[in-house]
Order: sequence, then structure tokens, then C-alpha cells
Amino acid sequence: MTAALHATTPGGFLLVLAVILPVCAVLAILACGPRSAARIAMATLAAGLAVAVAITVELVWSGAALTYVVGAWRPPLGIALRADGLSGAMLVMTALVVVAVGLFARVQYGLREGGGSERERTTFWQMLLALWSALNIVFVGEDLFNLYVALELLTFAAVPLVCLDGRAETANAALRYLLFALIGSLLYLLGVGLIYGQYGTLDLLALARLSRPDPALSVALALMIVGLLAKAALFPLHLWLPPAHAGAPAQASAVLSALVIKAPIFLILRLVLDVAPGQVAFLAGQLLAVLGAASILFCSVMALRQARLKLMIAYSTVAQIGYLFIVFPLAAGGAGTSPWETIAWTGGALQLISHALAKSAMFLAAGIVIKVYGHDRIADLGGFGRALPISATAFGLAGLSLMGVPPSGGFVAKCLLLTAAVIEGYPWLAVTILLGGLLAGGYVFRIIDKALAVSASPLPSRAGVPRRLELTALALAIAAVLLGFVPLRPFGFLQIGRSGLAMAGL
Amino acid sequence: MSAPAFLLAAVPLFPLSLALCCLSNWFRARALALLVLAPLPALAAAILVPKGGFAIFPPPFRLTLVLDEPGAILLAGAALLWSAAGAYAASLMARDPGRQRFTVWWFLTLTGSLGLFVVGDVVNFYLLFTLASLAAYGLIIHEQSPPAHRAGVIYVALALAAEALLLIALVMLAAGHPDANPLIRSVVMDLAASPMRDGIVVLFILGFALKMGLVPLHVWLPLAHPAAPTPASAVLSGVVVKAGVIGLIRFLPFEAGAPFWGSVLIGVGVITAYYGVLVGVTQKRAKTILAYSTVSQMGLLAVLLGVGLANADPEAAHLAAYYAVHHTLVKGALFLGVGILAVTGGRRFRLVFLLMGVLALSLGGMPLTSGALAKLATKPLLGYGWLAGAMTLAGAGSTLLMLHLLLILRHYAAEDAATSPLLGQFMPWLVVTAASLVIPWSLYPAVAGEPAASLVTPDALWKVGWPLLLGAGAMLLVQRWPGRLGMIPEGDIVVLAQTGQPLMRSLSNRIGEIDVHLRRWPAAGLGLIALAILLGGALMLRA
Repeated sequence: MTAALHATTPGGFLLVLAVILPVCAVLAILACGPRSAARIAMATLAAGLAVAVAITVELVWSGAALTYVVGAWRPPLGIALRADGLSGAMLVMTALVVVAVGLFARVQYGLREGGGSERERTTFWQMLLALWSALNIVFVGEDLFNLYVALELLTFAAVPLVCLDGRAETANAALRYLLFALIGSLLYLLGVGLIYGQYGTLDLLALARLSRPDPALSVALALMIVGLLAKAALFPLHLWLPPAHAGAPAQASAVLSALVIKAPIFLILRLVLDVAPGQVAFLAGQLLAVLGAASILFCSVMALRQARLKLMIAYSTVAQIGYLFIVFPLAAGGAGTSPWETIAWTGGALQLISHALAKSAMFLAAGIVIKVYGHDRIADLGGFGRALPISATAFGLAGLSLMGVPPSGGFVAKCLLLTAAVIEGYPWLAVTILLGGLLAGGYVFRIIDKALAVSASPLPSRAGVPRRLELTALALAIAAVLLGFVPLRPFGFLQIGRSGLAMAGL
Repeated sequence: MSAPAFLLAAVPLFPLSLALCCLSNWFRARALALLVLAPLPALAAAILVPKGGFAIFPPPFRLTLVLDEPGAILLAGAALLWSAAGAYAASLMARDPGRQRFTVWWFLTLTGSLGLFVVGDVVNFYLLFTLASLAAYGLIIHEQSPPAHRAGVIYVALALAAEALLLIALVMLAAGHPDANPLIRSVVMDLAASPMRDGIVVLFILGFALKMGLVPLHVWLPLAHPAAPTPASAVLSGVVVKAGVIGLIRFLPFEAGAPFWGSVLIGVGVITAYYGVLVGVTQKRAKTILAYSTVSQMGLLAVLLGVGLANADPEAAHLAAYYAVHHTLVKGALFLGVGILAVTGGRRFRLVFLLMGVLALSLGGMPLTSGALAKLATKPLLGYGWLAGAMTLAGAGSTLLMLHLLLILRHYAAEDAATSPLLGQFMPWLVVTAASLVIPWSLYPAVAGEPAASLVTPDALWKVGWPLLLGAGAMLLVQRWPGRLGMIPEGDIVVLAQTGQPLMRSLSNRIGEIDVHLRRWPAAGLGLIALAILLGGALMLRA
């Protein structure tokens, strides 16, 4: 019966490339030694971006999902890789952020001073590539255990990034992260076991077809989702995120905040909307939305309270991912409409992508500010807009997207979610979205105000910060703004390959 | 693209492209001289484009521009003031170290402010509204003094609140519409039938009242307008507040009417009109007095729109636009004039002062000035009941406030009798002053539907003359009470908001404590288990 579900499509090998290329690069770096690490990494970044773009082109061209059945062993025996529209968008977003961060790191590590030790550099490149591979598996994986492996790989690649500089403080944060993420993995694995026991398959598409409302599935889903929530650091499980994301070097924070936490969220999205039978998901969706709303409000206030720039950005991350959880009740869809045809689905996906772009831009800009000022105490950053106009602009543009000010991706995302909240009759979610925007305005504006202020002390010298470094941050911020030009309606690309799922579900 | 469409497109796009050109250092260093040119396409469009002219840009821009009668009237006045204030700024700020930043903020605010008068679709209205609101922050804090910063912070907080209110209102308005970015006109036509009609109208009134500075949402205005450099004050008080007016004109259902909300708007407007005068006469600084006068005048505009809404009379929008353009030009000229007076000495001071006197009393409705025209044109709308009386009295109040202004301005003369203003500042002021005296005359027949000659009849003169005398009499009384000066701080009830600060701070501290607690291992572990049980329960319940 599953034979019909997966069959390798012409472009399917691209998915394997997306997963394998970064792994090969990691091995190559191990083999060739640290001297060529940067060169190998840059070549892989270019190739990986090309693969991601090729997958998207193939998706648009064929209008159907790409599939690759590994080793021609069909599920449930073998595993399948599958990319639909949403996966394709994630792959491209990931590639863009990774490439921009890679360019930033290349310039940063090429500088004479502050280039970091050789060990740090090599570790960064290897972990960046490993992380990219893990992310790609999460986005194209169809097998729950395969996804578990990807999540573990992701965690083990992300943890060293947190403590790249080896200070006791960051090592502590990394340990915290590792422990909590492992607990999350454990819960996830438990859920996977339960599902395998009940259904005898771990293939998502097959499960979407087989799943029925029974207690085992409920327990399994609850365990898996909570485990993933721990990894995604949704309020109130965010204990590890602020120290980890604020302590890491800028290029690492950017990847962690923009991409790493999106992987578990992507999986929750698939579990709730694809695997959970529609009736079952209703209350759970409400619960997740409550958590999301609490996350938005609580952590936005926390972001407002922070005295340090990077901590503020880190708290803002916890707040912004809250928007992704309020999608569940909004995208539940009525009779006759599937979740991915709703505007909330498009809004959620746009929020995910625009947050990734804006947040990575923000962290990179913050990194430049720290490099020049030597600290990130917001109170003492007066006039940084004059010292670093490009970085301040990047920060401001990214901030506009977080606030949801037009024209930016964040605006379109929030506008769609708000429309969905109004149409579906969730006034409390509409109010949350608006308050979240106001609070985001508050914390972004605090920094902009500092950037425009006249500083009492002389501006620090910006020697040693080449303009290229700043331009990568600006490019990401501009990308976040340009997202605002997608139409304000359910976005066709995100629906590619989803209708096949609906058929499977019937 | 046809010529009218091209001109319309240039209204927002020309200043926007100038702002973008400022990315180049070379351009930015010279851009100050272009401030005067940036609004000229708008002026040309207001005059040359036939009413009903439109321009549509296909996706991904999804921009629709239309020019209608009220829009054209407002656009013409606004563009003229922007241009003159730009010339003034170019002369004033020629040596200012921050002039490049100022120029960029100026172009951006200008883009939003003028674009609002012609934009025809919902999304771009919101975009331009946001642009005008947020970019004005750069103008307000330009002088970087602590009061300017405080004003800027309060301004941005309330501007963001207005954005949020409008966003939800627009979303509710457009939610049922098949087009994702509908035309304003078509959604407002559907508004009367919308189940969320009252909610939408309230949100619009609140959001735009914040922008106009209607009591009690006016607190930012008397702080922000005086804080900016003089030419920026002129455009903020003259034009940027009109974003709220055009918003109400565009989004309230004047065709269908809404009697209850109309009377709410009238009530708020009357209170605002008096409140602005009462607080204004206690102020000591000329620019603050002018800002309070703006508050009061916006109240009068709200009354006009309220009457139109209550009586389902779309004609009110034209009259409100006419009144607004009178206020734009006079208020702009007054703000610029304050700057001129401060650098004028000797005999020239008396001449300038005399002209300022005419401008000031025009706000009170002095016969033969634009103020009298505006008041006479709107008289039929208000009828002859209590409201007409209240408005006449408000006119007397304006006279009182303006006399107070003139008494304060007496002391503004430069020390040195030989000082005279630079031509680059004097001429723009003179142009705006002349325009404020001439333009309303030329528009009067079209708006009021009667020849301008009817204005010089003794009857008409008396109609507007006696409130003036009443105001002068009130001034004589008020003057006996010098202790009033400085009695109420600038921004009046904003002080009340500050008493709430300890509460907010303790709330925020409380959240901080909770966060510390939540981020401990035991709490997080417990949270994990609790969530698992809750989620499991939620999933089971339906199973």
C-alpha cells in the first residue's frame, strides 16, 4: 500500500545531494587539514546554494513534490526523502542564511586581529556544514527515526558552536543546552517507539494515511511534540536559549537563532498538521497557541528589559517563534479547506522565513557592533549609527520586519495571521499579535534610538571592520524586507506537493 | 502611462527616489538644496491632474493612486507648505552638522505625508501612513536635546499604538473582501453591511484621533511639534497631522452615515477645541502655544467630520479639506514666522509682527482672511443649533489663544536692531503667508457654492467679526491673571501617565523574577512534564 506513496522522481537525486554535500565537505576538511577548511567550506556553500535553488526550480517546474527512495528500498523497509513546497522554501532559506553567515565568517576570520584561533575556525566550518546537512535532512526527511538522527546531529553540531570561544561562561551555556536538548530527544524517541509499536511504520506519509484517534498515538504525539518544544525553546521551556544564543560568537548565534530552532518547529508543524487526525489536533492546537501567545508577550517584555544587545535579540527570538505556534488553530481550516490552503499557513511559513533572515541579520550586525565597541551594553552604545551606518541600517531594517512594519516579510506574515485570526474568530490571538508588534516596536526602537543618539564619549574607531562584513548583514536584512513583496494570499509555491498528502490522507 | 498618471505616480515616488539617492554620499552632501523641489510634482499633480485621475501599478507593487476633490485640495496646500518649509530648512540648516540625516528623514516623511493624499488602496495607505509616522521621529529628535528625546520617545510609543489600532481596523475591514489588497473606496462601501462595523469605526476613530491629537490622545503633539527644528515643526503641525484627517475622510462611511459615532466624534472634537485653548493660554513658549492651537483646530475638524458622519453627508469631507488647507497654510506660516521673528530686529520686526498678527487672527476667523472664509464655508453644515454656537465660541477661543501668542511673540525680537532674516528664510515664509491669504479665496466659490463677493457683505463680516471681539474681550480678562503662565506643563496629562510608571516598572520586574524562576532546572523540568501531560490530555480528549 505504501508502494504508491513514494517513488523516486526525476529530480530526486538533488535531495540526496543537499544532504550529502555538506557531510562530504566535513570529511574533506578532516582529511585535508585546517588550512583548506575555509576554501572547502566556501566551495560547498556555493554548491549547496545551487542545489537548493535547483530543487526549487524543479519544484516550480514540475509542480509536484520531489521524492527519492534511498537505495530503492521502499518504505516501510527503506527510507524516503521528499521535498514539497514548504520544504523547498526552507531549503532555500537555509542555504541563503548559511551562505551569508559563511561569507561573514570568512571575512571575519580573514582579519588580522580577532580572527580567532585555528581550532575555533576549523570547528566553526565543520559544525556549520554538519548543521546544514542536519537541517536539510529535517526538511526533506520522511522517516521519523531518520528525523531523530537528524535532530541529534543538529544538536551535536549546534552545541560546539555555542562554546566556540571556550570561555567557562559559554561552556556552561552549551552544557545547559546539550542537557535540555537531550531530554527533548529522549522524549521524541519514546514517542517514535510508541508509534512504531502501534503502526509498524515510521514513514510520515504512510502515517498520515494510517493514523486514527487512539490513545497510543495521542501519547506518542504528546511526547514527541514536547520533546521538540524543548529543543525549540518555546516559553516556558526557554531556559537554555538566552545564555546560549547570546554567548555564542555572532556568526554562530545567527545560525542558531535563525535556523537551528526552526528544525524542531518544522517537525511539530508536520506532526500536528499531517500525522495527527484532524479532530485530535484541535485541542492540542489551541494549547500550542496559548503557549505561543504567552511566549510572544512574556519574552517580548523580557527582551525590553535586557541591558545587553545580544540577550535582547535572543529573547526576541523566543518571542518571535511564538507566532509560529499560533498558526495551529488558525490554520486548522474548516470543512473542505486543508490547512495549507489557508492564509494562516502562508503567514506562518512567511514568519518562519522572514524571522530567519531578519534575526540572522540582527545577530551579525550586533556582532559587528561588539567588535567595534568591545561590549554590547545597550546603554553605552550611543551613536553607534554614526560609527557603523551600514550595520545600524541592517539592524533597523531587520527590526522593521520583526515589528511587522510594511513593507517587510514580517508585515505580510503578521498581516496574514491577523486576517486569519479575524476571519476564524480568535480575537485574543489578534490582540496578542498586535501587542507583540507593539512590544517588538519597543525593543527595536530602544536600539534605533541609541543608534541615532549623539554619544557623550568619542565614537570608537571602526578600523578593522571592512565594509564587506557589514554588507552581509545588510543583504540579509534587505532580503527580509523584500519578502514583503509576496502577494497577500495563500502562496501557491507552499502548496506544491501538499495535495498529494491530502490524497494520501483520504 | 498617461501624463496625469505619471504625475500622480511622481507624488510619492519622486521624494522617495530622492531619499534612495541619498544612499550615495555625493548626493547626500548636496541633497539639502533639493528639499524645495521634492514636493513640486505633488503641487503640479494637485493642480493639473483632473479630478478622478488615477494610476495603477501591477503586482508586485499593487499600488493604486487616485486624486479626488478633498485629496487635491489637501495635496495642494500640503505640497506648497512642504516646498516652502524645505527652502527655509535649506537656508537654516546649511551649516548644521546633522543636515544630511535631517534631509533623509525629511524626504521620507514627505513621501509618506503627500502620498497619503492620493493613495487609493488599503495596503499602501497603511504603508505610507507608517512611513510618515515613523520617519517624523527623525525630525523630532533632530536637535538631540533631552526634551527632544523625551518627546520623540512619547511620540513613537503613541505612533506605534496608532499603527496597531489601524492595522487591526484595516484587517477587519478587508477580511471579507475577495481581493487581498482592495481599493479603499470599495471596502468602505461594504463597511455599512459588515457585522464588525462598529468595532471597525471605533478603531479607525481611535487610530486617526491619535494621529490628529484629539483629547485625550493629544499628549505627544505639544511635546513633539515644538521640539523639532522650525521648518520641521511647520510641516509636522501643518501637514503631518492631516494624515489623521485624510484617514477619517477616506475610511469613515460618510455615504451610509453612522449617527452614533458621528456624535462621538463631535463630542470629542468640541472638547478638544476648548481644551487646546484652555491649556494653550497657560503656555510660555510660542511654538508650544502654536502646537496647542493645532490641537484645538484638529478638534474643529473632527466636529466637521462628525457632523458629516452623523448626517450621512459626504459633502462634509470637502468642507473639512477646505478647512484643513486653511489650517495647513496658516499654521505653517506661523511656525516659520516664529523663526523669522527671532532673527529680526528694529523696524522690520514691526512689519513682520504685523503680518504675524494677521496670520494669527486668521485662525480666530478675522474677516477677509482664510479663517473667516473657512468658518463661513462650514457654517451651513453646522446648522444653527447649539453646535454652531459652540463652534463660534471655539472661534473666540482661538482668537484668545492667538492674542496670547502675539503677546508672547512681542518679546521675541532680536537684540540687535540691525539683524534681519536671511532671504532664503524670509521668502519662503512670505510665500506661505501670501498663499494662506490667496488660495482660500480662489477655492471658496467651488467649495461653498457661492461667489466670493458674498463674503464682503456687512452681514457676513459681522458674522465672523463678533467672535473676534469676544475673544479680545476674553484676553483682557485672562491677562489679569499672570499666574497662569507655566501652570500646566507642556503635554499636560502626560504627567498623569508618568504616575503609572512605577506600576509598569514593578510589573516588568515581576516578569523578570518569574523568568529567573522559570529558567531554573526544577521549574523547567516540571514544565516539561506538565506540558507533556497537558498535551497528551488534549490529544486524548478528542480521541
